[in-house]
Amino acid sequence: MSIEVPVKTAGMTQPDSAIAPKEAPHPVAMQVKGLNFYYGTSHALHDISLDFPERSVTGMIGPSGCGKSTLLRVLNRMYDLYPGQRATGEVIFDKQNILHSGVDLNVLRSRIGMVFQKPTPFPMSIYDNIAFGIRLHERVSRSEMDGRVEDALRRVALWSEVQDRLSASATALSGGQQQRLCIARTIAVRPEVILLDEPTSALDPVSTARIEELLDELKTEFTIAIVTHNMQQAARCADQVAFFYMGRLIEVDSTARMFTTPREQQTQDYITGRFG
Amino acid sequence: MKANNTLMRADRSASLLWRRHLCDKLATAMSWLGMLIVVFMLGSILWTLFKNGLAGMSVHLFTMSMAAPGQPGGLANAIVGSIIQTGLAILIGAPAGLMTGIYLAEYGTTSRLARIVRFVSDMLLSAPSILIGLFIYMMLVVPFGHFSGLSGAVALAILAMPIVVRTTEDMLRLVPVAMREAGIALGAPKWRVILFICVRAVRAGIMTGVLLAIARVAGETAPLLFTSLGNSEWSLDLGRPMASLPVAIYQYAGSAYQDWMQQAWTGALLVTLGVLIINIVVRVGTRGGRS
Repeated sequence: MSIEVPVKTAGMTQPDSAIAPKEAPHPVAMQVKGLNFYYGTSHALHDISLDFPERSVTGMIGPSGCGKSTLLRVLNRMYDLYPGQRATGEVIFDKQNILHSGVDLNVLRSRIGMVFQKPTPFPMSIYDNIAFGIRLHERVSRSEMDGRVEDALRRVALWSEVQDRLSASATALSGGQQQRLCIARTIAVRPEVILLDEPTSALDPVSTARIEELLDELKTEFTIAIVTHNMQQAARCADQVAFFYMGRLIEVDSTARMFTTPREQQTQDYITGRFG
Repeated sequence: MKANNTLMRADRSASLLWRRHLCDKLATAMSWLGMLIVVFMLGSILWTLFKNGLAGMSVHLFTMSMAAPGQPGGLANAIVGSIIQTGLAILIGAPAGLMTGIYLAEYGTTSRLARIVRFVSDMLLSAPSILIGLFIYMMLVVPFGHFSGLSGAVALAILAMPIVVRTTEDMLRLVPVAMREAGIALGAPKWRVILFICVRAVRAGIMTGVLLAIARVAGETAPLLFTSLGNSEWSLDLGRPMASLPVAIYQYAGSAYQDWMQQAWTGALLVTLGVLIINIVVRVGTRGGRS
């Protein structure tokens, strides 16, 4: 793999050194470079370059069909499920271009988790929903599994609500609980990056607030990319915001600058249109 | 002018309404009539079965094998033979059907091979069962030189399989894409997502297909005539001819002996009750699965 362009961020440093120095608190966990994406012959993403800083939240906003969800689905190679969809360019994660055909997708997806718009509990017990992902990648004893399941449920603040009925079907939970279960299931696998595709758009305001609080805690440990249609949500949760329009990345900046002094007119129009 | 117009329209629609009313009544009456005919036939069959069959219900029926006319006998060997052959047929046909259904829904989908398999399976679904019997006769009876319970079970399995194929495929197609993607997103390989998430999600529906297949093959006679043949002796040997309820009914009902005819009625009642119980289990089971 050849990288001729010198990288301007600290993203390519060793993971060990990334923890130590204080001057680079957010090295880049994932770096998209010159990404183009096609649904068959339709060109959906044009030359996208975007850095995802480690342990922080990147919000992706833009009107429907702008390509933000498409980009998210490139980051864990979800598009691979569908023939006719292809990506060119580079997505660097852990010094590797994950778009490379030799990448083990199951391992990749265990390191880059994803949460979907609609809660997707599996047709099994609450316990087994969490254990399913862990069992895929690790061999753990029964007592250790109990601990891992409890830990995951505690971290999404679901433990107190379900501890008495771990063997009950997960489909009996409320929508908000189901979505927290899905997040617990994702973090139980111990990924490094979590991708969230409009995770609260199917939830009521109270459940939405709980998930947003949760994101704040999770970002101390995980790199998070969240697609959202809700501008306030992006403003509340994200550290940096990327605005997409018609398959292009128009602007990316810190959340504060993005919502106060955007550089591009299109960004301004979109943001004010929604607020106003 | 305007009022006149409205009046004319009202006038016209009155006759139109009357005609519609008549059509409605006529159509309703026709469908009631159709329904009554069907229910009457069904009720008549059940009534006749119970009236003629109940008299033959006895302990002997379940404990003694078939016997010559005038001798004390039962249907024990036919009942057990039916259970063995139907059970074995499902053991062969259901897993094969399940795997084929999974292939069609998850792997082949619109490929050429999948389209051919789907077409053949649907054709088998409506193929005359006697053809299946003749096919197995040529494949498993002629080469070995004798009839056998095993060949009967295989013939029934071929009848059961396409039912399971169709229900499995139809059910798997109902699994939402998001659920599959959620499994894939955790890093699960495709086969695990299919077996542990998709099939699990629709297990009640697939079970319905299997039970319907049991109900279908339990009453089949034609495919058994050329394969397991029937046997008046008690035999559990799959390599030898084996008795079954439908064949026993066929044999007894065509006879001229009073006691055989009685047992044919009772056997028919048993088959009907068996199928009825399976159908009730299906109804109750799927209701439980949906809630």
